[in-house]
Amino acid sequence: MEPDSVEMSGSGPNSGVAEAWETVTAALVSPVSSASEQSLSDLLALLNDQGLGRLLGSWLLETLQMRLSSCVVPEFWSGLKQPENEMEEKDRVWVLLTAFRTLLDRLEPFLAGLEKLGAWQDEGRGGLCGPGSKALKERAFTTIRALLLFSPAPVLQERVLEFYSRTFSVYMNREGGSEDATEAPDGPEGGCWCQQALEHLQELSHILSKLQLLEWVSSEAVTTILHKLIEMRMEQLCRGEYERSFLLEFQEWLELVLGWLAKVFASEVDGDAASLPVAPGGLGVQVVPGGGSVLKQWRCHMHQFFCRIYVNMRIEELFSIIRDFPESKAAIEDLKFCLERTNQRQQLLTSLKSAFESRLLHPGVHTSDILTVYISAIKALRELDPSMVILQVVSQPIRKYLRTREDTVRQIVAGLTGDAEGCTDLASELSRGDPVTLEMQDSDEEGNDPEDWTPDPTDAMPDKMGSKRRSSDIISLLVSIYGSKEIFIDEYRGVLADRLLQQLNYNTAREIRNVELLKLRFGESHMHYCEVMLKDMADSRRINSNIREEESKLSEEEQPPLPLSAIILSSEFWPTLKEEKLELPPVVCQAMEAYTHRYEKLKAMRTLSWKPHLGSVTLDVELEDRVLTNLTVSPIQAATIMYFQEKSSWTLEELSVKLGAPKELVHRKLALWQQQGVLREEAGGRFYVVEKGSSKEKLDRGVMLIDSDEERDSNTATQSEQREEKLQLFWVYVQAMLTNLDTMTLERIHTMLRMFVATGPVVTEMDVNELEAFLQRKVRDHQLIMSGNVYRLPKSN
Amino acid sequence: MKVKIKQWNGVASWLWVANDDNCGICRMAFNGCCPDCKVPGDDCPLVWGQCSHCFHMHCILKWLNSQQVQQQCPMCRQEWKFKE
Repeated sequence: MEPDSVEMSGSGPNSGVAEAWETVTAALVSPVSSASEQSLSDLLALLNDQGLGRLLGSWLLETLQMRLSSCVVPEFWSGLKQPENEMEEKDRVWVLLTAFRTLLDRLEPFLAGLEKLGAWQDEGRGGLCGPGSKALKERAFTTIRALLLFSPAPVLQERVLEFYSRTFSVYMNREGGSEDATEAPDGPEGGCWCQQALEHLQELSHILSKLQLLEWVSSEAVTTILHKLIEMRMEQLCRGEYERSFLLEFQEWLELVLGWLAKVFASEVDGDAASLPVAPGGLGVQVVPGGGSVLKQWRCHMHQFFCRIYVNMRIEELFSIIRDFPESKAAIEDLKFCLERTNQRQQLLTSLKSAFESRLLHPGVHTSDILTVYISAIKALRELDPSMVILQVVSQPIRKYLRTREDTVRQIVAGLTGDAEGCTDLASELSRGDPVTLEMQDSDEEGNDPEDWTPDPTDAMPDKMGSKRRSSDIISLLVSIYGSKEIFIDEYRGVLADRLLQQLNYNTAREIRNVELLKLRFGESHMHYCEVMLKDMADSRRINSNIREEESKLSEEEQPPLPLSAIILSSEFWPTLKEEKLELPPVVCQAMEAYTHRYEKLKAMRTLSWKPHLGSVTLDVELEDRVLTNLTVSPIQAATIMYFQEKSSWTLEELSVKLGAPKELVHRKLALWQQQGVLREEAGGRFYVVEKGSSKEKLDRGVMLIDSDEERDSNTATQSEQREEKLQLFWVYVQAMLTNLDTMTLERIHTMLRMFVATGPVVTEMDVNELEAFLQRKVRDHQLIMSGNVYRLPKSN
Repeated sequence: MKVKIKQWNGVASWLWVANDDNCGICRMAFNGCCPDCKVPGDDCPLVWGQCSHCFHMHCILKWLNSQQVQQQCPMCRQEWKFKE
């Protein structure tokens, strides 16, 4: 800096100084200078002597600022807005371009002046010194930007955006072939102005970069366009399409877009070094390898955009992707790639969780479907996030919900044994025979190399389980829904018992296989009971053939009255079987006694206790005009029809007494025979044998009773029976409440029950409707009276 | 009408004819098996003493082996003799 002798010394020839100032400033702002270089230098020296040299810069900038605010900026904006009413797109582009052209024209003298002054300062001509051309320009551009864009009218952005979009589609059309079929921009004459548009683009970029406005004017528009286009393209190509990967495709496309960007920022790219005129028609792609830092930045941005938009879309669709899983693997892999680059895990978690809740976890969805989706989710999310944290967090509500479903365990077990229709994943998962046993996961031994340890992601749930328990094994995950495998094994025992008891031929190959596979999972000790059950089957077969052999040695008269074989159970190892009373006809009882007798001979000190209601019977029914052969029915059905040999008509009561079974049950079982056309019911609950069946009548019956009682009943106590038991428990409470409070509404009873009997998972889930149905049943049985809206107990005498 | 039973598949469970439900030594059900066994019935039979007490065979043998002096029934302290 020069010493502080700023005040003008009055001694000098004032007029000379003023003249010099005039000349020099004129030379600075007018492009064609009248003064020669030499005289300018002299004048500068003179000014410098007077200490005025360093005011030149300030003056120039001041003048620039004045001009800008007084006329250039208003002119620019009014020029841009000028023809307010509708114009053709082409004209709008023209206006935009003209406005910038004028702007450049107006500012060019100043820029040249700055250049000149800067050069003088740099070379220190006439003792001139100052910040130098670079700093001067910097300040000038800052001033321009500040004044011009202090309050930009939205029209500028609109126009720029429109223009860029147009050139973009033109460019992509040319480079990318017809694939980006945006309609060709037709001018008003119908002629194509594509080429023109591209030229305009070049000019505009050039002007903008000259004024160093490029970034300020274009960035926003470009960002918007890129966003919009990537979004649009993704919407068109990827939405609903999960089966192929789009990463590469988009990579290529983005490179293409980069070509356009290179055009937009062309002047900046190669104009920084030297303000070369941009070669017309020069393809942007050629510029890329040089790769101005601007372009590099934009490429990063674009990738970021892409990833973010992709992740957003896939997050929205994740539920469907999961549902389609093995087919949608490509989408999952893409998502994984992009998710690693954006910070959207949290968003994904929240969105997926709520998708599950709204689309899956409601009463309208069958349990097996929930399980299927859950299994898919396990498979898909373990691809997406090997640390399994996402799965763990997201599946929390599913697991919680499944816990409230009664048939979850049964469905899982059915899936495991391959009985469930449509859900074969579990069976195949089981037969994969993965050595991952549940025991191993319980152990503390992590077994991994400590070097391989990676910390949990930050969104992991802070539970004590830790990563080692975050298993990805489907079966362990399902089994752990209830927190214990015992429940599953019990359920499996139930299923196994049903299957074995329904079998006639002691063929257990499939069950043996399943038990072996389950043993791999759950460990030998847990499957021990099931093994004993299977062994019982084999033993029974041996005993049966033994006894048969014995019998065949007997004489004709001593032969047992009917061929009886038995499944002999080790009662301690089988699940509790349904207890039903049933009196079998004497002939069957005799056969059973005989069988027991032989068994006692075979196995010393052991005897048999029969379960008369279990098993199956194959029989023929011979009627006067027809024979029904090889019917397989339940013992109670067989017993019933056998009683009809004694006399041809029975009332329900008589049968019920004879069979020792409740009337409802007998009635239900009789339906089979009615359906077969063997029996018919007449008024008063009396059943007759139909000895001569006209075919028409038979047909009618078949239609009428077709859906009466054909589903096979489970032999073990079922969920619904257990539920019935629970409801019976409620009955005690209801009675007690009504005794005390006399009358109660349905809602009141429900609330009270919830309050008092809130134990066990089954009970808490009872809703009002179910209770109402139950109470209505009681009303029908005359155990309860309902009047108005209140229930009360009948007066007991 | 005539009903002809071709085959009756019944279901029964076997049980020991014993005067108690549980083995006095291991307290497990007779119809189950002793703690060392996996399979009940033939593989883990019951034996009766002349005192009419009965146990899982494995249980009573273990007991008798642990008795140094005199072999007694753990229930009634009479001398243990297998019932023929």
